Amino acid sequence: MAFLELNDVTKLFGKLAAVEDISFKVEQGEVLGIVGPNGSGKTTLINLISGYYKPTRGTISFMGKNISGLRPDKIVKLGLVRTFQSNVLYEKATLIESMLVSSHLQYKKNDFEAFLETKSYKDEHEKVVGNVLQTLQLLDLFNETFRPASVLSHGYQRMLGIALALAANPKVLLLDEPTTGMNYEEAQFVVENIKRINEQGITILLIEHNMKVLLDVATRVIVLSFGCKIADGNPHEMMNKPEVIEAYLGTETV
Amino acid sequence: MPPAGIWIDALVQSSTYITMAFGMVLVFSILGILNWAHGQYYMLGAVVVFYGVTAAGVPFPISMLITGLIIAGLGMLVKKVLIDRVSGDLYVGAVTLALIFFLEGLASMLFGMQDKGLANVMPGNMDLGSFSVSYQKIAVVSFTLVVMIAMYIVLNRTKVGLSIRAAAQEPRAASLYGVRVDRVSLIVMGIGCALAAWAGCIMAPVYAINPFIGRIPMIFSLLAIVIGGLGSLSGAIIGGLILGFLNSVMTYYISYYSEVVLFVLVIILLLVRPQGLFGAALK
Amino acid sequence: MNVWLNRFRTFDWRNTWPKVVAAVPVIIFLLIPVFTQGEIVLNMLILSGIWAVAALGFTLILRTGQFSLGQAAFMAIGGYTSAILSVVLGWPWWVAFLLSGIVSGIVAMGIGAVVLRVGGIYFSIITLSLTEVIRIIAQQWEPVTHGSRGLIANPPPNIDLGPLHINFMANSIPFYYLTLLLVIITGLVFWRVGKTRMGGTFFAMAANQTLAEHEGIHLMKYRVIAFTLAGVFTGFAGAIYANYLTVISPLIFGLWQSIQIMMMSIVGGMSSLVAGPIIGSTVLYVLGIQLAQLPIYGISQLLYGAVVVLVLIFLPKGTGLIDLWPRIWRKIYKEVEDYEIPGEARQED
Repeated sequence: MAFLELNDVTKLFGKLAAVEDISFKVEQGEVLGIVGPNGSGKTTLINLISGYYKPTRGTISFMGKNISGLRPDKIVKLGLVRTFQSNVLYEKATLIESMLVSSHLQYKKNDFEAFLETKSYKDEHEKVVGNVLQTLQLLDLFNETFRPASVLSHGYQRMLGIALALAANPKVLLLDEPTTGMNYEEAQFVVENIKRINEQGITILLIEHNMKVLLDVATRVIVLSFGCKIADGNPHEMMNKPEVIEAYLGTETV
Repeated sequence: MPPAGIWIDALVQSSTYITMAFGMVLVFSILGILNWAHGQYYMLGAVVVFYGVTAAGVPFPISMLITGLIIAGLGMLVKKVLIDRVSGDLYVGAVTLALIFFLEGLASMLFGMQDKGLANVMPGNMDLGSFSVSYQKIAVVSFTLVVMIAMYIVLNRTKVGLSIRAAAQEPRAASLYGVRVDRVSLIVMGIGCALAAWAGCIMAPVYAINPFIGRIPMIFSLLAIVIGGLGSLSGAIIGGLILGFLNSVMTYYISYYSEVVLFVLVIILLLVRPQGLFGAALK
Repeated sequence: MNVWLNRFRTFDWRNTWPKVVAAVPVIIFLLIPVFTQGEIVLNMLILSGIWAVAALGFTLILRTGQFSLGQAAFMAIGGYTSAILSVVLGWPWWVAFLLSGIVSGIVAMGIGAVVLRVGGIYFSIITLSLTEVIRIIAQQWEPVTHGSRGLIANPPPNIDLGPLHINFMANSIPFYYLTLLLVIITGLVFWRVGKTRMGGTFFAMAANQTLAEHEGIHLMKYRVIAFTLAGVFTGFAGAIYANYLTVISPLIFGLWQSIQIMMMSIVGGMSSLVAGPIIGSTVLYVLGIQLAQLPIYGISQLLYGAVVVLVLIFLPKGTGLIDLWPRIWRKIYKEVEDYEIPGEARQED
């Protein structure tokens, strides 16, 4: 049984199928790329897996458990955490505040003990703060720890999004086009971090526009077009498949 | 089956709610906030027309017209001087809430505590077979019809109306096309307040006048626009109709509890279909 | 003079200031009945305190991103529960009092679980409707609530514990301390909630609901917690209100009171969870009472509305009246800092 599995997942908006009969498996520890032109259903797919949407048909299961249509926070608690394509942040909060607020899954102590601030809670809190600072350092955000998110550049705001997702203790990280709006160096930096995160045992689903990134970091790639899966396999092979080229560039006219 | 008199009253009530709700929704579409003091403009309309007719001796229809313009001016003044100084939906809402007390206080100081009545400006009844309807009530319904038709024409057939609709739907795009959104907002505020004031004027001879008569119409027009859908103009009209008829018929059968039923219906509606009948769904 | 100012400057203000600010008013309030036994003053403070608790509840719910226009309804529930249980059913006073808060809380939990799914303006309209529904039910449910005539409530019976002899009916002092106790407890609990992890969770929900949900925060659970906590303490406040004034009627707790509670929180300053609502309620309540004594009919309402509008326009967004204190303090501190000390080199910070 696969780590994460989608079976015939379909999402209809009225009559329009944003995704249709999508099936694939994700193995633990993989970096799976999801690629496709605009409108092919990539973000819808992430929305379905993360619980933001409920599938119209089909099932999604994670570690053997059916998670189709569960509440987003329940899915996060199971270990599937996503990032967002647009800047979804706590605008006015400082980085450390945003991170701490997103780290509450790292605590074993429940809310009541947090309210009382028992000694054991405080010890745990110290550890979590340490983790948070480490994560910020990893993503080159450490210098802005006490400043509000709004002072960050666009590229660094996306990094913060990744940091916030890491704070939630993911087993699987769903990255929605993390390099959009970044310059070459920032994109490289993100790719290195993806590799590092993956080395720590976190499975990654990476939605990307940029094939070069996928060639670098993905072990496998799924290609979407108009809501359907049209290819599944090694990224290098994908580049040369006619269906993939057709999806991106259109059919050849004689 | 309730007697014909109830249906007439239903129509009269609906007319008031329609006019009020339409004004409230118009302002909501442009300003993005509910003008909680909308009912107070209704009340001021009644008060000013009262003075116009009794103290200044101006005939009722002309008084009404002028009153609408005066209250429109007041609304625009309030918007320019107060509302525009404050940012954020909650704070603007709070200002309009505070204005309720301010305007009621103002009216109390001028008007006094006693209920006053406007002597029948349109005395007499029309006989319709087994029952008769006062001319005043007929005036209320016809006035609402006229106003709604006028609104339709203005919004759909004039340039001003076009700017209003554009600014309501997409303020940024509209301003890029040369629509002065701030000026349009001001005009819309004026129209909304004028509508409320005219509703107050036309109803002034029907019921008593005192500084607090605005409270209930505000609540009912709020319920009407919820039923119709918070952003929808046609929704306001349909909502007002439904509300007026529901209220009259239920009051006839279950008197005091009719209000409870109305509120509960609205609560259920908001839980199940918050966008009302015609509003756009959020999320 | 110079030496004194020097000491003034090196004193560690950053850490002691908040504690001083918090402790001083509490001590002052504890001692007020020592300085004045005037019924009028005590009466004003008691009622300000009662409304303050309701405003605290509003602000807590606001912290989770929801605007509740239902606080007056919970005061009504608390008040009626206490009155019905102690007077109509004859239960012991303190039991009825305790239950007023508990019943309020349970109702809040039940209503909240259903109604908090919906956000924004819709939630406000729903709570507005609920407040009116409860008022109308109180008005029409004659057998239980005696309708518009209202219920007569009794103050608690005398307490005789050894040397301690408290007579609640003699003057307002016992009720003053009871109210003060409620305000302090409510303030402390809410303050702790705000400062600890749950406060951060509330902030996240209010700042970005989608992100919070995708970080594993169960939105409904925390909304209901805040709503219930507010309900419990507001219920107690309503019970004190009913018992202090010895009468409760449907007229006291309707939509317009909910609106006033909201204004108290806003005027006090919504960025502050505890001090803001307390300051806002005291100022607005006292203002309302004083203005009502003016001879011209209607001027009190006019000035009341005007004051609120002025605060909203001129005092910075979210900080309301609570911001005046730091501003004044900064002005004093700045003057101290700028004071020239002749003959000595000034240390740069």
